[in-house]
Amino acid sequence: MITHSTRRTRVVLPALLLGWATAVTSGFAILLRYKTTPGEATQPLQRWPSHSRLTPSSDLATLVLFAHPHCPCTHASVSELARLMSRVSGRVVAYVVVVRPPGVPEDWDDTELRRRAAAIPGIRVIRDGEGLEAARFGAAVSGLTLLYDEKGQLRFAGGITASRGHEGESFGGRRILAVLAGETPDRQDAPVFGCALGASANVGVEEGS
Amino acid sequence: MSVAVSEQAVQAIVRRAEERYGVERLRLLVATDHLFGALMVGQWIFGIFVALTFSPFAWEGKVKALHMHVWTAVLLGAAISSLPLALIAWRPGAAVTRHVIAAAQMLWSALLIHLSGGRIETHFHVFGSMGILAGYRDWPVLITATVVVAADHIIRGLVWPESVYGIVNPEWWRFLEHAFWVVYAISFLAVLCRRGVRDMRAIAERGAELEALSESEWRTASVLDRSKEAGTSEAHAAGAPVARERIAAR
Repeated sequence: MITHSTRRTRVVLPALLLGWATAVTSGFAILLRYKTTPGEATQPLQRWPSHSRLTPSSDLATLVLFAHPHCPCTHASVSELARLMSRVSGRVVAYVVVVRPPGVPEDWDDTELRRRAAAIPGIRVIRDGEGLEAARFGAAVSGLTLLYDEKGQLRFAGGITASRGHEGESFGGRRILAVLAGETPDRQDAPVFGCALGASANVGVEEGS
Repeated sequence: MSVAVSEQAVQAIVRRAEERYGVERLRLLVATDHLFGALMVGQWIFGIFVALTFSPFAWEGKVKALHMHVWTAVLLGAAISSLPLALIAWRPGAAVTRHVIAAAQMLWSALLIHLSGGRIETHFHVFGSMGILAGYRDWPVLITATVVVAADHIIRGLVWPESVYGIVNPEWWRFLEHAFWVVYAISFLAVLCRRGVRDMRAIAERGAELEALSESEWRTASVLDRSKEAGTSEAHAAGAPVARERIAAR
């Protein structure tokens, strides 16, 4: 059985190995590309929107994370938010805005993701009916995290995961920590990996302008 | 003459021991191949289950579509398991089969880590797989697995370091820390593999000796019985001493 070696085997086996290696490598390359492709980039408001139902802190920074309640990628953002909050406890007021697109049933956003967010110490979960808050802030992608200083000035806008639905340290998380530590980060943004929220981001831009 | 016969007997036992070892080793390799065959199918089903559990749908507002992870689990998972399964059916026990299985097993680790969203717990799959691969008692298989892990780390470490090391700007020596734990695991597993092979050889040698002993005793007894029946002493004089020498030669 082992010693069986024919010309056919000598040709077929390397071909199979090559074909297999190519197929598997291509598959991983496609997966890697998908995981590292961010969502649609938007321009969030530079100042806290005056029409927002959310109350910003006047003596602490305010962090807002927009979440699609069913987005699997956002679970990683919530995990990273939990880690972030454990490091900046008492230095920031934080909201998770659960975005509900228009025309969905009442219990549509009663999901594990919302419950996980609500369980993070120091987090206030806000249900955003019709996606109005998302529109006001100019949020289009789930996982977008905004950090405003106590004067209402935007200091960071971006994602806090390294890729789509992948836990671990990210540039976004580091930049938020830098801002909260009173340092100036190298950039004030980071790519956002998540599902489309389904709210019109343009409303926020128009309102702010 | 008796020295020549003893030498022949020893060579016969050595040949038989090698034969027994070969048969047992092949049986072990084929059985381990089949174990991995079941694992390849099981991991594929598990991968699809993980994808459907963690990330069934991608959403755009209230519109959902099957998530990329589900497609990946079905198609890439099938691709990873396909060649190992084909080789297990086509060339069970062959070296190429177990080396492909080792590579595929490490690729499964990478895929499951992706499908579970990079959970640290899923990284244990790498070390668990190394332990199962040691079941082949063939340490080069562990080297193949290590090469695949290293290639994955090097490529991803260059293009996407945070997915490997969990931090965005790892120190240059960080890969050595990861490599150390893999080398630590396979070093001891390789020693255990060699020990396992040595034990298999010892068992094969003892089996061959027992076979030879039984055979010689049977032959001696047969000759004695025949000589009794024939009432002659020639047969005893010619056969028994040779048989006894062959036994004594061991």
